[in-house]
Amino acid sequence: MANKKYDLIIIGGGPAAIAAGIYAARAKINTLIIAKTFGGQMTRKTVSIENYPGFKSISGADLVKKFVEHLQEYNVKIVSDSTGVIKKIGKTFSVKTAHEGWFDAMAVIVASGADPRPLEVPGEKEFIGRGVSYCTACDAPIFADKAVAVIGGGNSGFEAALALTKYAKKIYILEYAAEVKAEESNINLAQKSKKIKIMTSVEVKKILGDKFVSSVEYQNRRTGQAAALDVQGVFVEIGSIPATGFVKDLVDFNERDEIIIDSRTCATKTAGLFAAGDVTDVQYKQIGIAAGEGVKALFSVANYLRK
Amino acid sequence: MPKVKVFSTPTCPYCVTLKEFLKKNNIEFEDVNVAEDAAAREEMIEKSQQMGVPVVEIDGQIVIGFDKEKISQLLGIKK
Ligand SMILES: Cc1cc2nc3c(=O)[nH]c(=O)nc-3n(C[C@H](O)[C@H](O)[C@H](O)COP(=O)(O)OP(=O)(O)OC[C@H]3O[C@@H](n4cnc5c(N)ncnc54)[C@H](O)[C@@H]3O)c2cc1C
Repeated sequence: MANKKYDLIIIGGGPAAIAAGIYAARAKINTLIIAKTFGGQMTRKTVSIENYPGFKSISGADLVKKFVEHLQEYNVKIVSDSTGVIKKIGKTFSVKTAHEGWFDAMAVIVASGADPRPLEVPGEKEFIGRGVSYCTACDAPIFADKAVAVIGGGNSGFEAALALTKYAKKIYILEYAAEVKAEESNINLAQKSKKIKIMTSVEVKKILGDKFVSSVEYQNRRTGQAAALDVQGVFVEIGSIPATGFVKDLVDFNERDEIIIDSRTCATKTAGLFAAGDVTDVQYKQIGIAAGEGVKALFSVANYLRK
Repeated sequence: MPKVKVFSTPTCPYCVTLKEFLKKNNIEFEDVNVAEDAAAREEMIEKSQQMGVPVVEIDGQIVIGFDKEKISQLLGIKK
């Protein structure tokens, strides 16, 4: 049986993919969106989003809802699945999904964004879901009245810690560097909170427990001394890695594993294959930028399909 | 009809996807918010032996996460 064929396949469900999808529908390009989940990193936001134009303050979940509702105004085909492989045979792209089989298209936009970066210490993998979490926004309420560690003293770490104050009884922010790096206002709020303790020059060595996490072992990088903290939860907030596992040969990567694009057009090294948003080497990563990049990629696709 | 119970928090993306999947397939389910319901939270941790959402209980069987294949199999949902 021949694969179902579209003009365009968009891979992703974040702002870049959704913006591209809306423009594609309005341009009457026969489009399929393949998305693992909708919302992308916006759903990981623990505090309100306050810098997306048109919304003074909106929760990640509500902004995602608005994006998705807007997309669903149009007749765009959506498959909720994860992309496994993209191949190009002649001028046609074939995209394989985990459960729904293969789909073909003349052009592809990769807008798969980024996944949380793992810590890579012993115990981390073993305790995923049993104390270790990469989604504070999802799992924070489950740690009501527990002590938790937030790994990473960047802005996401601080926001996670502040969100956790609603539930957890004690929150340790553990930062590897000598100083934390977050917005002034978040640092001030955290310093004022009786529940939060900020610890710098901390290298997490190991996550321990039996059925569930019970402690974190670390080394103080100033003194070299080893110590442990009794915690039942570990929230990893140390940045992200581009989600590019399915597209290896068709694109080039920079040293951060981001897809290298032509910044004018979102084109990759493969004709007909475009990339947009956090998965690319675009210098800054924000919702507004990702949406704009998605739009840019779509105009390039329209141009490419006309040829 | 199988008895289906979804343990979730309002802010987790896979919870939303899971519930939409059930609705699309006309599966009735009880939706419990473990962010607010402490007893349900304990029940979920106890039954699933883990601390992540979503968790689905299908006629006493526990599925952790949005495991589409397993959920489809237990509910007899065909592609
Ligand atoms: C904690 C946190 C707070 C933030 N706060 C803000 C803020 O206040 N303001 C702001 O402007 N920006 C903020 N950002 C940044 C912003 O969220 C991102 O720049 C933006 O979401 C990037 O959009 P994207 O569409 O490129 O990718 P993502 O949002 O990462 O979306 C990627 C999508 O692709 C899907 N996907 C991944 N792999 C596959 C696959 N193999 N197959 C199918 N689908 C796949 C995912 O499920 C997801 O839906 C924040 C980010 C984080 C993590």
